[in-house]
Amino acid sequence: MNKDKISIQEIIDLVALKAAVSKRAAEEFLKVLIATIEDALMAGESVKIKDFGTFKLQWNEPRKSVNIQTGEEILLSGYHKVTFVPDAILKELVNEPFAHLEAVILNAPNDEKIEVETEVELNPLRIFEEQASEIKDLLSEIQALSSNSKKAVIENKTPEIIEEELEIEPVLNDEISLPISEVSDDVEKNSDDTNYISESEIESIEEIIETVIETPTEENSSFKKSEEKKSEIEPEKVVVSEGTFTSNPFIEIEKPKKKSRKWLWVTVVILFLVGGAVSSYFIYPPATDLVQSTIISAKKLGVRIKEMTSTTDMLNTIAKWVNPPKKEELNIETVIIPKDKVEGDSISEEETVDSLQILFDAPRIYPEYIATERIMSGSRLARMSERYYGTSDFWVYIYEANKDRIVNPDNIPTGTLIYIPKIDPRLIDATNPRCLKKARELHDLYVK
Amino acid sequence: MNQKELIASMAAKLNTPSSVVANLLDATIGVFTEQLAEEKTFGFQSFGNFEVRKKEERLSVHPSTQIRTLIPPKLVVNFKQSNILKDKLKDLPHNE
Repeated sequence: MNKDKISIQEIIDLVALKAAVSKRAAEEFLKVLIATIEDALMAGESVKIKDFGTFKLQWNEPRKSVNIQTGEEILLSGYHKVTFVPDAILKELVNEPFAHLEAVILNAPNDEKIEVETEVELNPLRIFEEQASEIKDLLSEIQALSSNSKKAVIENKTPEIIEEELEIEPVLNDEISLPISEVSDDVEKNSDDTNYISESEIESIEEIIETVIETPTEENSSFKKSEEKKSEIEPEKVVVSEGTFTSNPFIEIEKPKKKSRKWLWVTVVILFLVGGAVSSYFIYPPATDLVQSTIISAKKLGVRIKEMTSTTDMLNTIAKWVNPPKKEELNIETVIIPKDKVEGDSISEEETVDSLQILFDAPRIYPEYIATERIMSGSRLARMSERYYGTSDFWVYIYEANKDRIVNPDNIPTGTLIYIPKIDPRLIDATNPRCLKKARELHDLYVK
Repeated sequence: MNQKELIASMAAKLNTPSSVVANLLDATIGVFTEQLAEEKTFGFQSFGNFEVRKKEERLSVHPSTQIRTLIPPKLVVNFKQSNILKDKLKDLPHNE
């Protein structure tokens, strides 16, 4: 710190120059100024000068002390003291060399929390993907079976497929951490109920199967059927699902929404995939007799879907006491689109991060300048950076561009011409913490 | 005493219009501020010294939350009254 003391005479000269008055007038003015302030302070007033500060009188209480030589106690009398509290503007101006520094909170445990949160967000997606792959495998098996087999064979195989389902459902339930025994009981009941219905009310179920076949194909927009038929059959479907619901009164009432939502997802995926498979069969029939078997396989699938939807409906009704029959169809879009979106976002983010890193690592050259500044007394690179780039932290780039002219960035001789370089806006993005971090790293490098 | 009262009082003492005094005061404060911004020390013998002092960086601990914060160094303006002014103020009676 340079303790340059300047005399009153110099101050008088500067004031005279600035106010364009004679030195004598300036001197007298200063004397009167000091005298006035003094008088006001003597009168017990505080003096406030705009943009400069406030002078106040402070009373220091008398206190006891000890004479260091004799050891006897002495009383220091109280006295008045003039204190000066600088104005905010003056404070800022004086503190300019350190203005870019900010208080740093040490030992911040924030990083861990953020990581945990992201994991939680990703988990449902991962489970969803696993479930989807499992269901795909199952479907391909069913398709392989149905395309090779005749009517009689298929009828024999029906329990097998249901068994397969039962195998998967506990697996899913494990992930959702439901008590396995309860759920498997429920599922058995459901499958029994649906089997019973499929035997006794074959006609109504055939209609249901038709709706099941229709609804997915319409979503795929590859197969066109009249909307009227669908609307005619739909109420019956609802009735049957309600029937299964009422025939199964031993259900746990308390099941969280989350679980029912997972079931909903599974149902949605199955609906979608079955729809795709069935429509492909309809459009490209491999053989005429196969169409018959396809319909029967679709019947089975329909029964299966029925079962799934009935469980979902039950869970929904238990959870919300509301039974929206069309929710599955609506949810297909809402479930699948966000997944794609998330993936896209993460990829684009990675790309920008990478390009930023490349930008940081690349040697910076400054071919273009947006302005030039001449160093005046009191001007600082940080101040220029704040003016041109919005934040004082990026002064390091100005320094880099003018390295050959600046020996010490903390003390630039007045009159030096500084070129303000044009910088890639991505590099001086004040909202990006990485840019600020990079600038601070450079700052540490140059200032030490 | 605020800015207006100060100017009025000085105008009366100098026998000059207050607008002129206001201009002069602005110029004077401008010079003071410039000098302080350049970390120069200046003072008036009968009044006191203005100087810029550097406060070193320090570690502060919040008493209740125990959050440790590193306070950066800063420059502050300091005014120290002269002994002449101190002697004058000695005569001032202290009233609680």
